[in-house]
Amino acid sequence: MADSQDESLGPAFEKDPLELGVEDVYDISYVIGKDLFKLNSGGQEVSDLQFKIVRVLEMFEIMVSKYNLSLEELRMERDSLKGELDRVVEGSHENGNNIIGLDKLVIDMKDPNRPRFTMQELKEVLQERNQLKAQLLVAQEELQFYKSGVLPQPEPNMVEIDLGTPSSMDPPLSAPTKENKEQHKEERTTIQKLFSFRRK
Amino acid sequence: MAKKTYDLLFKLLLIGDSGVGKTCVLFRFSDDAFNTTFISTIGIDFKIKTVELQGKKIKLQIWDTAGQERFHTITTSYYRGAMGIMLVYDISNAKSFENISKWLRNIDEHANEDVERMLLGNKCDMEDKRVVPKAKGEQIAREHGIRFFETSAKANINIEKAFLTLAEDILRKTPVKEPNSENVDISSGGGVTGWKTKCCS
Repeated sequence: MADSQDESLGPAFEKDPLELGVEDVYDISYVIGKDLFKLNSGGQEVSDLQFKIVRVLEMFEIMVSKYNLSLEELRMERDSLKGELDRVVEGSHENGNNIIGLDKLVIDMKDPNRPRFTMQELKEVLQERNQLKAQLLVAQEELQFYKSGVLPQPEPNMVEIDLGTPSSMDPPLSAPTKENKEQHKEERTTIQKLFSFRRK
Repeated sequence: MAKKTYDLLFKLLLIGDSGVGKTCVLFRFSDDAFNTTFISTIGIDFKIKTVELQGKKIKLQIWDTAGQERFHTITTSYYRGAMGIMLVYDISNAKSFENISKWLRNIDEHANEDVERMLLGNKCDMEDKRVVPKAKGEQIAREHGIRFFETSAKANINIEKAFLTLAEDILRKTPVKEPNSENVDISSGGGVTGWKTKCCS
């Protein structure tokens, strides 16, 4: 970097602290390191101070690098959630269900009461309910017979529930498998070799 | 419950806009009761009531449909098995009356050709809220050659009469004493649809 007067510190010093990258830290370290080098002739106190400054710069580097890492992680998580939402929306489109379009519904996925069963599923449940209801009525009638001490003739189901032929029973769909997306976590090693000359 | 089983089984169907009172009409007929809380029917339900007409025990299996459009695919699949269909509108709801032609079209599309139809103008106890004159109901029924009653499930007006009339109309068309009907081995005067248990005595 440009060798500076006391006044101009270099661009990294001007930056918003929250926008600093590790490179900026290295730039700052370079500037400070140059000044420290000038003090090289000093005694033990200066040497100790130099060591402390280097240590602080090291901590600074770690902090900035961690901060940027978590920022990146959050961005990646946001992007993957966006992608997932897009897939869900597309999936619903393919199923001919709800969500966006002229005669479509928008569904709040967080709504515990949102619609999520198909007409076919409802149809099957209703058919079964009505069948059981019919069987109950038959059983009640038979019970009446027995109670009255009269044995009923064996009889076919008196209540025929054959309206609306039940269509093929589809096996229940298993829950969609969640995609295990890989998490890229790059370990960034601390490079503080800039000041190796000052160590010890 | 009946001690003797039925001679005939008639399958009836109730259709019409949501909220016109189909379920209440049926509930009045089957349980002689009325409930003011409105619970929308989910898809399709049914009730059983045995009546006696011309010395015959007739089991009425009455299917109650949801009026809401979203159940349309479920409800229309029940049209075909019906021998009689009651189309209900609400005399205090003009839209439900206008939709009669839509419901009649549904019948044409999905029901048997010889199905017995009937038109009911329900909630006739609410004279102060009436928007459909009785004459209009009578007129549209005449145009389509079907019977018409104004009913009130709440005040129990014409409910039983409507069901019995519909059952009678079906009975009239029903060939009695079919010797070739299945399961008639022990029954005397068995019906077409039902199996008559030998009456033990």
